[in-house]
Amino acid sequence: MRHVPDEELHAYLDQALSRSQCVEIETHMASCARCSDRRDANAALRDRTTALLAQLTPRSLIIPPPYASLEERRLKMPAFSRWQRSARRAGLWAAGLVAAIGTGWAARSFLDPGVVQRPVEPASVPPSIATAVPLATVAPAPPDFTPAPEESAAPRQSPREVTVRPASTRHEEAEITPAPVIRFISSAIPVRTDKGLDDSPVSSTASRSPFERIWRSVQWEEALQIAGSGLPFIEGMPVVGVLLQPGGPGERPMVIVAQQDGSGEVIQSIEGPVAKVTELLDRQSMPDVRSSSLTRTPPDYIEDHGVVRRNNRIMAVTGRLTVDSLNSLAKVATIR
Amino acid sequence: MDDLERLYTTHYAAVVRFLYRKIWDADRAEDLAQEVFIRAMAHRPEKPRAWIFAVAANLARDEARAAIRRKKHLTLLKDDPVPLSTPDPSADETVERDERWAQVSGALAALTERDRDVLLLWDGGLSYPEIAAQTGLAVGAVGTTLARARKRLIEAYDRMEYTADAARS
Repeated sequence: MRHVPDEELHAYLDQALSRSQCVEIETHMASCARCSDRRDANAALRDRTTALLAQLTPRSLIIPPPYASLEERRLKMPAFSRWQRSARRAGLWAAGLVAAIGTGWAARSFLDPGVVQRPVEPASVPPSIATAVPLATVAPAPPDFTPAPEESAAPRQSPREVTVRPASTRHEEAEITPAPVIRFISSAIPVRTDKGLDDSPVSSTASRSPFERIWRSVQWEEALQIAGSGLPFIEGMPVVGVLLQPGGPGERPMVIVAQQDGSGEVIQSIEGPVAKVTELLDRQSMPDVRSSSLTRTPPDYIEDHGVVRRNNRIMAVTGRLTVDSLNSLAKVATIR
Repeated sequence: MDDLERLYTTHYAAVVRFLYRKIWDADRAEDLAQEVFIRAMAHRPEKPRAWIFAVAANLARDEARAAIRRKKHLTLLKDDPVPLSTPDPSADETVERDERWAQVSGALAALTERDRDVLLLWDGGLSYPEIAAQTGLAVGAVGTTLARARKRLIEAYDRMEYTADAARS
């Protein structure tokens, strides 16, 4: 009896074989204890590896930013940054070579002044000096090379410099505007008994707020239009109010969505830049209003003088419930 | 929705995980994953899935080199737990999780580079031919290499767990 070779067995377990090959192997294993034991042992090994690797994941949620935002960032990238990088590398090489030759020449002059008196043959000029500049200009351009109009003035940056910055250099928006305390939301937004997303209040909560210049109470649909996909929402609970604070340039607004659970308690999902949300939570003064753990949401990508800066955002669910209940709600909350 | 956008939706998390397991910095892994997809938008590769993981591997390599240059390893490891997650585990759970994390990452680090690459690429969802194309292995050798890598990972992990247990007792 021909047993299943190791390579085939591994490929079978990793679903890398055709259907007909799988059938052939399964037929054999049905009558071969040795091969089926090998299959079980290898499958156990595979499953355990998968379980081990699953522990090596970032501890925050992985939420992809909207695809359109990547498209925007791509369009902002310099058209031929790769060419620039090559040119810069070539320039550095040439500069290094020139420096080395210069140092050698100076040392030679110093140690043996007589030699310097001899006229320099034109041929002895290091070719690298002459080619230093052209090296940068003849570097291969990508096939879709199209010179940008402002190229000569634009600062040279590699794609990485344009799109991301090291974590240590990131900083949150320091501008914190006065914000309402959480109590404001619970007390000011009227509790609605009628269900439905379209029933978010337009009542003048802003008129009671000393911060009406900043926070606005808006309809759900309007909030969707303004905040786009950034509205936090807990499925199955009617929305009773949405407060919105416009963000800075390139920044999504900060949002508070108030929803009502089955017992009539108002639950508020607060989503916005880290600094602003934590500031808002710190101002929370009612002892019976608790907050869930903070959960990361898609960050803002803010262009600042040609550099795209990442501004992290978070979400918290607050209400007069236990922290465990709020954590459970935060788990099911989605960013619309 | 075009193919790349679909791939972005389905594979973004896998690419982040792949990068995270190479550079151990969650924020940076996300940044690099986005850069990978931005590059894919510009290049429109024929085989985008394999291409994306190949570029991710290159970026991770560059990042590791840069980290060595900056001697940032310790900082990166310290920075990592900052990201916020849903429910706060108890102190016991946290300690246990951290310990397990250290053991698994230590076991992964104990593998050869090729074994590690094959394992991570497979876990990222790449097929045998895609893994072969990226690592230079023959397609027929991928399964065997993968099985060996799995075995070594588990052996290394068990060894570390045994050592930790012995130290506790």
